[in-house]
Amino acid sequence: MNPEAFLNLDRVIHEKGRLAIMSMLAATAELSFTELRDALSMTDGNLTTHIRTLQESGYVTVAKSYQNKRPLTTVSLTNQGRKAFADYVDLLEKIVQQTRKLK
Amino acid sequence: MAERETESGEVFRALLKKSIFLQSRYLSYFSLANYHFAMQSASMETDWAAEHLQTIRTLMERSAVYRRALAPIMVWNGLIGVVGGVAGWKTEHNSARSFIVFWSTAAVLSIIGSFLLVRRQALKESEPFWSPPTRRIAQALLPPLFIGAFLNGFAAYWTWSEGANNSYVAFILILFWLFLYGCAAHSAAFFMTRGMKLFGWIFITAGCAVLLAISMAISKDWQFHFPPHLLMAATFGGLHLAYGIYLYLTEKGKNAS
Repeated sequence: MNPEAFLNLDRVIHEKGRLAIMSMLAATAELSFTELRDALSMTDGNLTTHIRTLQESGYVTVAKSYQNKRPLTTVSLTNQGRKAFADYVDLLEKIVQQTRKLK
Repeated sequence: MAERETESGEVFRALLKKSIFLQSRYLSYFSLANYHFAMQSASMETDWAAEHLQTIRTLMERSAVYRRALAPIMVWNGLIGVVGGVAGWKTEHNSARSFIVFWSTAAVLSIIGSFLLVRRQALKESEPFWSPPTRRIAQALLPPLFIGAFLNGFAAYWTWSEGANNSYVAFILILFWLFLYGCAAHSAAFFMTRGMKLFGWIFITAGCAVLLAISMAISKDWQFHFPPHLLMAATFGGLHLAYGIYLYLTEKGKNAS
């Protein structure tokens, strides 16, 4: 089996928590910090750390605004993030296909 | 001397033969183990990658919530409820049969209006009308709404020949409608904004209140003088209208920010 596929997996997205964040953001225009936290059952600190890592890689953008006089933090995928996610999913599919051939 | 050399040579050859045999056996054993390991890891990797893909799919589905503006839909349904309730009361559609026909027509109008509003929003945003979130909402709403429609048909058939002024039939139907509609709203809320869950619970609570009122009336042999049409206006009309106004105000605040 070609090990190159594993080596090419994006390490930033490959982490379980970050993959979950990317998956949720890929299906919608944007999600609030609270929606992400509740949907993924993450702590505030954990989610902040993952979002920061994704932000540093240029995969997500964070916008701060106010809703009903309360601060609202929304997270969305950048074009680069959307492409990286699509590449990641393509690679996973290739791995599944390759290993099924071996069986 | 020559005999000894021959003997030692034979022993050496025998040992060499044995070592070659053992080496080949071990080698084949190790290569077989390696093969099994590779096959096992390949199978594990398939499982792992397939699990990852499944997780991604589940999360993406959960994330794709229904984002159509609910305020106009709620206001439309609220207006149907309030106007229909007052009109039914004023025009005295009091027999069980006419009550069922009247509110079934209102329900059809309400569904058609809601679909047109959703379609208008989809066209405005250049999105497909029958999108995956819309499909999921429809699937969540369908079982309780189907039961409600079936009960309507059953009650209409049962009371068709009677045609009498039977307020209990109307109140029992309202009770079922409230419960079923509350359950439908709660199911749909899994794919919508979280406020819908509370909205569903309010309908279920209203149904419980109506049930308590009916049971008290039966146990104390009271007669209902409260028109069922006005109860429909207060529950279905009032609650939709109140939620619609609340959404208009909050969505307006969000847009302003």
